[in-house]
Amino acid sequence: MTVEPRRARGSEAPDPDLADVRAAQRDRAAFGALYRRYLDPVYGYCFYLLGDHHDAEDATERTFVAALAAIDRYRDEGATFRAWLFRIAHNQLANTLRARHRQHATSLEAIAEPRSLADPAGLLSLAEEARGLRRALDQLPDDRRQVVVLRFVDGLSAREIGAVLGRSEGAVRVLQHRALRQLAEMLAIGGHGPTV
Amino acid sequence: MTTRPTPAERLDQAIDSVLAGSPARVAAAVAGVSPTDRALVDSAAALRATLATSLAAPRFEARLGARLAGVDGTRWILRHPGRLIVTGAVGSAVGVGFTAYAVWRSRSAHRLLHR
Repeated sequence: MTVEPRRARGSEAPDPDLADVRAAQRDRAAFGALYRRYLDPVYGYCFYLLGDHHDAEDATERTFVAALAAIDRYRDEGATFRAWLFRIAHNQLANTLRARHRQHATSLEAIAEPRSLADPAGLLSLAEEARGLRRALDQLPDDRRQVVVLRFVDGLSAREIGAVLGRSEGAVRVLQHRALRQLAEMLAIGGHGPTV
Repeated sequence: MTTRPTPAERLDQAIDSVLAGSPARVAAAVAGVSPTDRALVDSAAALRATLATSLAAPRFEARLGARLAGVDGTRWILRHPGRLIVTGAVGSAVGVGFTAYAVWRSRSAHRLLHR
């Protein structure tokens, strides 16, 4: 597997997972730390893209099994372990989506609401806004939706997303710009403009 | 020589700030986002507030953890072992309660029959 040889997070910051990766390469039992750290982010990525819990669990499982099998081949050559792992998840998602003929089994509207809401008075408007955003997100082309989910759900940088999707950092920024413009337009038409 | 950042780069910089917790207007101003693109920073902030991370089910976590550990015969510690312990304890308590109730009903019926 090849990923774009660049540093993540826009700087020369070291990969925070590197010590755990080295430990896992020496002793597979140490992979557990990486599994615990990235289970939810990988699962969330799969779930937002597939819209179905069972399919998301299948894709997550295949991702971690493949990552564990290939952990010895991971090299710190610019791309972070996180980008490498999400690249595997991306490939698993592509397989699932191909098998599905790129049709979503479930609308993203079915995705759970945020778990904690500090302001009960704002619950209704926030839920309405959330539904509008998810509807709009569901209508984005696959590549733009992937950029939005990786950026806003999983917190990856443009460089890391580039490594995941096999695109340049600049291309990811352009995709992100277009995705947000499209979302803003859809929300304006739908009357659910963001209130932040 | 320095090159001027593109609108997409300015937006990305503003998004970095939003993801770090800055208010949308502050992030847009600091990154020098154009007035026409400020609505996009608002959208970014709304996405950050709305798109929650989905959590994997504890049962799935345990099953996959066991499978991965089985690959190498190693054992891992689960993130939330308490959940499994509580689930097991509640399940056992329900089972014991149900059995006790069934025994009590059975004895009551037996006593009524032999009065």
